Amino acid sequence: MGNFSSSNVNSRRRHGNRRSHPPPPPPAPPQPEITANRYVFAAATPYPSQYPNPNTPPYYQYPGYYPPPPRAMPVPLPAPYDHHHRVDHPAAHWVGGRYPMMPQPAPYVEHQKAVTIRNDVNLKKESLRLEPDEENPGRYLVAFTFDATVAGSITIIFFAKEGEDCVLTPTKADLLPPVTVNFQQGLGQKFRQPSGTGIDFTLFEEKELVTEAEVDPYPLAVKAEASPANQNGTEGNQASGAMNSQITQAVFEKEKGEYQVRVMKQFLWVGGMRYELQEIYGIGNSVDGDVDANDPGKECVICLSEPRDTTVLPCRHMCMCSGCAKVLRFQTNRCPICRQPVDRLLEIKVNDGPDE
Amino acid sequence: MANSNLPRRIIKETQRLLSEPAPGISASPSEDNMRYFNVMILGPTQSPYEGTFVQLLIGGVFKLELFLPEEYPMAAPKVRFLTKIYHPNIDKLGRICLDILKDKWSPALQIRTVLLSIQALLSAPNPDDPLSENIAKHWKTNEAEAVETAKEWTRLYASGA
Repeated sequence: MGNFSSSNVNSRRRHGNRRSHPPPPPPAPPQPEITANRYVFAAATPYPSQYPNPNTPPYYQYPGYYPPPPRAMPVPLPAPYDHHHRVDHPAAHWVGGRYPMMPQPAPYVEHQKAVTIRNDVNLKKESLRLEPDEENPGRYLVAFTFDATVAGSITIIFFAKEGEDCVLTPTKADLLPPVTVNFQQGLGQKFRQPSGTGIDFTLFEEKELVTEAEVDPYPLAVKAEASPANQNGTEGNQASGAMNSQITQAVFEKEKGEYQVRVMKQFLWVGGMRYELQEIYGIGNSVDGDVDANDPGKECVICLSEPRDTTVLPCRHMCMCSGCAKVLRFQTNRCPICRQPVDRLLEIKVNDGPDE
Repeated sequence: MANSNLPRRIIKETQRLLSEPAPGISASPSEDNMRYFNVMILGPTQSPYEGTFVQLLIGGVFKLELFLPEEYPMAAPKVRFLTKIYHPNIDKLGRICLDILKDKWSPALQIRTVLLSIQALLSAPNPDDPLSENIAKHWKTNEAEAVETAKEWTRLYASGA
């Protein structure tokens, strides 16, 4: 048998400018909307209809946010988070923090609708980099690009240990104290930590800087908070818990003798809940607003007619319309794009606001 | 009538196949059954299935039939070579051994991608997973001779007539 099965069929992705965006969420705090059996979808830049965003990264336009699986060390989850208590679908239960390995009796998977939460500040993870500090040879400064729909503050924390409620504690504050910088609202802003506050790699052992797997403390954490640092100034990062923020955790890598920085994880802390950020593949194609049914880049791969609005989990391929997804789940439990088993389907409507 | 209630997907695929055909591939639906396609695939260059240049490219044209079953796209299309072909993964009835036509089918695949895969199979015969035991054995014991036979069959049968 020939092996021409392609795992990237229809992988064309259009990177057009977005012209339509989800409307601003209601003023009420997002937390009460998050009820059992729902996933959360956050728009990285909720207001940009009046600002064309020149720096839209190709696959990261609307990062999908859904709650991370329970961690090895159990963390008490707030009640609304606890969405695994349905009895009709065995696969919906966590068993010892993992999906049960038994096969499902029928290729039936849950179909869930996303809830939108707002992310006021978004660090563009592919822009995170180190720049030499010209005034302090040997030191390197953390730099990146970010979008902010409100004013706020950014805190750079080296060797940050994550505690309860996403409180980040610097573990080597004596050598490298955290640095907080305030910002105004605006998209595509450039950030560079103040000269003199950067890291001197020669002061640390390589094994502290270069880490293989998931680690705590992370060598670098960037906390972007959606409100200005409080009156205590740089103490803002310590108070933390109550404020909404986006946290980026990164490691250093040594390449040709030079240290580079690489993002490992991003998560949101909103309304007292922690959401891990994950990319959705193919979503950029379907949120352009004007649905051109003849563009193969944004139509459902099954009917070739409707716009895509349903993402397959856990592989995160946004490839179907909800109608076809409902048919598919009774036919097969494999993702049409990558053939991985489907755990659940997540419907994400981005264009159904009142202005449509 | 077979053509009533033809799914929009099939109509779209057909339109696109006709308006933007893949290189070396043509597929057109039968007039009385829009689920039945007459297909022609040009043998890929530098394969034993390519045509011969005598001022013009002559031969190397393989005819196939393709049928979209009722369950399509949840089930794979049924495809068969009508032109005789000497290939380890194609039997004497024209049946094709190709994973995406069997267990590796995905509804994200289309007529176009299936035909491109078949065209690629002509460029890369796989005698380790044969459908025609004899041809595969020939391929493995004396590849040069098997390729000559394939070329001969291409000249004899793949005229496109």
